[in-house]
Amino acid sequence: MERPIAYDKLAREDRLIRMRAREVAQLKIDQGLPPFPDLLSRDSIKERVHGIMVGELQAMEGAGRTVYDFPDAPWEFTMDMARQVWDESRHVEIYVRLLEHLDGYIGEFPETTILWRCACAEDAAARVAGVNRGLEGLACDVFNQLVHIARRMGDPILERAVDYVLADEITHVRMGSKWLTRLTEGDPERRRLAIEFQETIDERFNLGGIRREGPHELVPISIATEARREGGFTDEEIARLIRTTQRSAVY
Amino acid sequence: MTHPLAGHLEVDESAKTIRHYRYAVERMTRILGGWMALTPELSAKLLMGRHVWDNAQHADAWGKRLPELRAAAQVSEPANPRVVAFLDAVEAAERPEQTVERVVAIYRVLKPHLLATYKSHLATANAVYEPPTCRILARCIEDERRHVAAGETVLRHLLRTPELETRARACEARLWLLLEAAGGVTGAGAVTRVSAAAAFPAPSSDDAAEFIRLEQSTGTWSITPALAQALTAFGDALIAGDTSGARRWLAPDVELGPALDTRLRAAQSTRHAVVAFARVGEQRLVKLRLDGGHDGVTLLIRWAPDGSDWRIAALEAVSASAAPPAA
Repeated sequence: MERPIAYDKLAREDRLIRMRAREVAQLKIDQGLPPFPDLLSRDSIKERVHGIMVGELQAMEGAGRTVYDFPDAPWEFTMDMARQVWDESRHVEIYVRLLEHLDGYIGEFPETTILWRCACAEDAAARVAGVNRGLEGLACDVFNQLVHIARRMGDPILERAVDYVLADEITHVRMGSKWLTRLTEGDPERRRLAIEFQETIDERFNLGGIRREGPHELVPISIATEARREGGFTDEEIARLIRTTQRSAVY
Repeated sequence: MTHPLAGHLEVDESAKTIRHYRYAVERMTRILGGWMALTPELSAKLLMGRHVWDNAQHADAWGKRLPELRAAAQVSEPANPRVVAFLDAVEAAERPEQTVERVVAIYRVLKPHLLATYKSHLATANAVYEPPTCRILARCIEDERRHVAAGETVLRHLLRTPELETRARACEARLWLLLEAAGGVTGAGAVTRVSAAAAFPAPSSDDAAEFIRLEQSTGTWSITPALAQALTAFGDALIAGDTSGARRWLAPDVELGPALDTRLRAAQSTRHAVVAFARVGEQRLVKLRLDGGHDGVTLLIRWAPDGSDWRIAALEAVSASAAPPAA
């Protein structure tokens, strides 16, 4: 098997339609819609849940590739990544069931592979920085907000299930924080490049100002400060993320 | 009568056997991890996803046992070069359309063999001085039984045609020969395996039947009558080679294009079917599969409402998945 594989080798059933994220966003903007689904209606929540479901699928596949792609990494690293595969596979099941709960189906919205592309970094340290801290950090933001909105809507199924997934994601962020440090010990250049990669991803997923600090009901994606802290982000890192969201161009 | 302190393996031999187990299990863990992205079918993807962690824990338990046997921790060692060749052959099934081969390799060959090997080891291990090994064997046996049963359930779902059944049998026979030539994962000679029929029903933590249900949970596409009519008319026109009839559905700035036109004509398709249906706001994305002729073609079409009618705002040929729509 190739190590690593080209990002366009990601295999899917026919029922999923793959599109570039910016193309989907543009199609929506052209129709006068927000580029990223809000949480104001059951239908837009369904679209967001579908996006999370394919994200979990790609996260499972990405963690699996990390198990395969880095046979010379420390064994404990492989163990953490294998554990993440198991968690993500359960998350896929949870989100497919939540999609059913919301009267949706797999393939109802296009799949974007921006997350998978980020999971194809060639260096293990960059991959954990980008995926476990950048993308799983984003997952903490999104899930934390979704739990809050579900509670407000009076949907205990959504609230409870997503809250358990959030707990797992915090664990994955913690793994990322641990391995970013351990894999780059004594190699400041590797660490710098890994962090730079993570910041590129953070910037990308600020989604042109859609992610920002603020109340769950008013902000499209609110930054989960406390969950991020639990995952090992320092106060300085959180403050920096908030600053970058303030300078991100609006779509 | 056998003396209670009689044993089959010296300490060093026990460590060596464990390194051989660990080699097979570690490689299986990594292979399953790598395969998920290359496997289109959700049921098989989730099956692998559930078992990567169990397998990693087995490799870890074997690796931790080694220092207790005066050996270095977490070391894998193949029994011989033929074991390496066997696992290389397992790993080779990486094309998207080879899901059947992937599942057969792990769930009809390697795991049933590991299960039989572990059971045989447990049956002969000394109950007085080998309990630490026996505990690991018992856990691995329980998990492997569950895995084999789950794998068999998914495999039965995947084997939809006689041709796939033939491929599965051929793959199993080929890999089994390689494993026999290696003398099994320990290189010890007699190679056995436990059949799936002897395995437990899968509990809910890796319920293969549920993975299959999730794969099939596409639901009903909400296609309006006007769009359904447009889709049918467009597909019919393509199959009939009626280019002007097909163009009637294109928005003014959209072209069928000579390359696509040539490809569609060469395909000589005899039927069409919608295989995916997605929404972007008011627009609809449709994958239309044309086949039955020389070569199948899958079109990705974006339909936009145009008053009470629908028009094609974009279309392109895309590569088809190796996985047919869930039955």
